[in-house]
Amino acid sequence: MRERTFAPSRILIYLIVLLIAAAWLAPLAVVVLNSLRSNEEIAQGSMIGWPQHWAWSNYLAAWSGFCVAETCAGIRPYMLNSALVTIPATIFSTMLGAVAGYAVSLWRFRGDTWIYGIVTLGLFLPQQMRLLPWTIVLRDIGLINTLAGLVLIHTIQGLSFTTLFCRNYYVAIPHELIRAARIDGAGFFRIFWRIILPLSPPILIVTVIWQFTHIWNEFLYGVTFTSGQQQPVTAALIALSAAVADIPQHGVQSAAVIIAALPTLLIYLLGGKYFVRGLTAGAVK
Amino acid sequence: MPITTTRRRLLAGSAAALALPAFARAQGAVKPRLTAISQWSAGSDGAAITALGKKFEEKGGVWQHSPVPGFTTEMMNKLRAQIMAGDPPACSQLKGPEIAAWSKIAPTVDLDAVVAAAGYEKVVAPDLAKLHKPGGKWIALPLQIYSTNMLFLSKRAMDKAKADKVPVTWADFNDLADKMKAGGVPYPVANGGTRPDDGQKFEAALAGISPLAYRAAIMNLEKKALEGPEIKAAFAQVRKIADWMDPNVGAQHFSTNLKRFIDGDMGMMIMGGWAQGVLRNAGFKFEDFMIAPGPSDNSKPVFLLNADAFIFWQRKEPDLQAGQTLMAQLVMDPAIQTMYSQITGSIPVRTDVDLSGEGWSDGQRRTAAALKDAIASNQAVLSLAHNMAQENGMTAAMIDVITEYVKNKTIKPEQAATRLAEAVEGAR
Repeated sequence: MRERTFAPSRILIYLIVLLIAAAWLAPLAVVVLNSLRSNEEIAQGSMIGWPQHWAWSNYLAAWSGFCVAETCAGIRPYMLNSALVTIPATIFSTMLGAVAGYAVSLWRFRGDTWIYGIVTLGLFLPQQMRLLPWTIVLRDIGLINTLAGLVLIHTIQGLSFTTLFCRNYYVAIPHELIRAARIDGAGFFRIFWRIILPLSPPILIVTVIWQFTHIWNEFLYGVTFTSGQQQPVTAALIALSAAVADIPQHGVQSAAVIIAALPTLLIYLLGGKYFVRGLTAGAVK
Repeated sequence: MPITTTRRRLLAGSAAALALPAFARAQGAVKPRLTAISQWSAGSDGAAITALGKKFEEKGGVWQHSPVPGFTTEMMNKLRAQIMAGDPPACSQLKGPEIAAWSKIAPTVDLDAVVAAAGYEKVVAPDLAKLHKPGGKWIALPLQIYSTNMLFLSKRAMDKAKADKVPVTWADFNDLADKMKAGGVPYPVANGGTRPDDGQKFEAALAGISPLAYRAAIMNLEKKALEGPEIKAAFAQVRKIADWMDPNVGAQHFSTNLKRFIDGDMGMMIMGGWAQGVLRNAGFKFEDFMIAPGPSDNSKPVFLLNADAFIFWQRKEPDLQAGQTLMAQLVMDPAIQTMYSQITGSIPVRTDVDLSGEGWSDGQRRTAAALKDAIASNQAVLSLAHNMAQENGMTAAMIDVITEYVKNKTIKPEQAATRLAEAVEGAR
């Protein structure tokens, strides 16, 4: 058996996989290396290169130094803004999506497929198309230029995804389970709380990863519906890259990108093993 | 009952107390305040707008700038959202024909009185002035100017070509490029691959061949001019330029290849005046490169204008109105324009600013002189690639044709000219 692991075909497979992995990781390697090179070093050399002097100061500048117009506080305050939007919006949209998915998959009622269809229709509307309607809504309820407004947007828009995911997962749960619970006198919410939720961790982790990543990385609404100091981290990252009469700040930019990616990376590392499992759980149905 | 009375009194009292400051403000003791949005956030752009804000505060104003990082589209989205919410900024960055387009969406401020008081109109390039008074009244003010067709020459590439003369006409340019190629410069023309790049080369070619044809075809979209021989000649020149460029530069920013340019691996760069600041900020020396106005076949400088501006939106609040007046005065002030351009590397809008003193570079002096000459000979025209000549939709349609032509070498100049005319018809 030992010998088989070193069979030529096996070596070939590893070689191919390694090659693909290297190609996949190359951009990341460039970003990591550039985060440790000074802007001048990059500008005077090439975009791809080994650091000559380790420019750790890039990370300090990225975290708390660089200026966005009048404010020189680095990426830190914008990270906080993003967290203040992403965490509540992820929790709300996941919980609402779980309840909605449970309702449309396990409770038959008049028009249930229609409601499901309309909710998931949100997946197919381009973001730009929804920009003006959201402007009007936020204006009328007085939440324009507030983080609460962004939480509302992402909660409601996230429902399309979370409902879809949860519904496809719950559809696989045997109806007998629900029927038995009803005979025992349990109602809609008690069944959800006692039976459905304990079965849900894999799909909830998937939706949390999905929602967190999307909301954290979102830029268009973040930049349109906030102003000045409330902007999300994506806006601060773009601010770093958009100068006319300057060399692009590749060094600080790379450091900032890495810092800004850490929260999503962390979420993946914590829940990643559930991700593929949860995604494919409902796929056969 | 007595309680009710007290309550009422209390309410009336506090209402009066609240109303008092507003009343006082209306009496002329207002502190000017300005809400502004712009794209300027990073690097020297951010530093310049911050310095302008400081000046505003020194004059007793309250400066409330919110940068909208990203491309123009993002800022437009933000502006639209603010206008729809009934809360437009007192002023916002906007440029080119978009000023006219956006002025139809929400009411703007009539700046005629302030502009007249400053005697501003006679020191601004006429084509530029027109853009900022779409309905005959000034509603926006230009802040700084860049030329999009400056010619940057690599010293080392010049050495390789054994040349020291700066090309004046396109024939000179082609000559020098040939010499560079023969002298071992692999790519006599430096290039980037972002959207305005190819457009800049085309506009430099056409305006250099005939500023008149440029004005008629690109700025006024005259059908006859669009089908004229100058357009074909310009496309033929662009083909030559494209053959001298590195085809492997994808969607890279032009700054990515500056090192190759300085090393003499690439010879000449047709780029906006801002490239000087980029070269300097990248740590290259003035000895490494030369700057000259772009080629012009009649030997008089042609200036392709790109100007940043502020548009002023109507507000009812007296403090914002006072802020708008103060801002307008500052933007037109030669000292402020000097400060601003010295930070960003642009040149002042005012043609009467003296650039001989400290703080100006040779490139800026040459650019300002070129603008003056170009205005005198009516050769200052508006840039297509940088959204000064046409609205966004029309610009995009034209740039698409140009970019395809640069990349696809099987298209003949005549075909490209026909396609350009068709694209204009289609986008009209």
